[in-house]
Amino acid sequence: MRRSAWFIGGVVAAGALTASGGLTIVYGGLFDARASTPHGPIVAWATHTTMIHYIRRAAAPLPPSSAFTPAQTLAGFRAYEADCEVCHGGPGVAHAHWVDGMNPSPPYLLDQSRRWTPNQLFWIVRNGVKMTGMPAWGLTQSDAEVWNLVAFLEAMPDLAPADYQRMRTELPPPAPRGA
Amino acid sequence: MRGPAVLVCLFSLTLAACGRAPTSVIGHARVGAALMGQAQCGACHAIPGIAAANGMSGPPLKGFAGRTIIAGMLANTPDNLVAWLRAPQTISPGNAMPNMNLSDAQAHDIAAYLYTLQ
Repeated sequence: MRRSAWFIGGVVAAGALTASGGLTIVYGGLFDARASTPHGPIVAWATHTTMIHYIRRAAAPLPPSSAFTPAQTLAGFRAYEADCEVCHGGPGVAHAHWVDGMNPSPPYLLDQSRRWTPNQLFWIVRNGVKMTGMPAWGLTQSDAEVWNLVAFLEAMPDLAPADYQRMRTELPPPAPRGA
Repeated sequence: MRGPAVLVCLFSLTLAACGRAPTSVIGHARVGAALMGQAQCGACHAIPGIAAANGMSGPPLKGFAGRTIIAGMLANTPDNLVAWLRAPQTISPGNAMPNMNLSDAQAHDIAAYLYTLQ
């Protein structure tokens, strides 16, 4: 009886301490919310690692993707040039200068298809990533359009910078939708 | 701050001595490390000491201080490295590394960090 009372009291005290600590951070404004400084190493590790494991878990049930057609890759390139290149750059192409002001900064994607499966890339593009600036493209584009982008990401490691430049010159991006 | 490095190069008898200028003379290595994280160098390069820098598109930068040639075409001197970091597309048009809009000071700080990599 006495031991369980101590135990319950301990749990309540620990909960109260955690809650007051959390509320102090929230209402005291004690989290550095500036984008002009990067996350500290612990927050950077925790958020990035959580994202990786979340995507692996969430994308796992998707049916296996089939091989991509050249038409899909080409459509994906045009969408990439129109919507993605500004933040993620391309082979031999830097992201826009203002993107240097983003934290976390969006990665270049030249070898992302060696790090993620097509299903995982589909999940990332369709659902976006909270607190990074990565939009959920699935909210404005069809699944087929998202798969086109995945097809291009899969092709990117084999794309020489000169090929990418030629495609940019010969295949300008389509006019913005709704324009 | 960079004057002494230039003098060392001018008066040294061997080119190698230029590459061995103390990194603190070239720039601020800690600032350079932060810049490399922000510029996403690690998306293409594996870089010791930079978080999540495990890219495989460009060469790994471990042991950079001991490398003799950079970009496959330039002697590994601080001046060449800074020039490369600022305008890789001008030096080697069509290579995969983009011009990153680095300032002269930023390129010096990144160079200072790279020369800490033994």
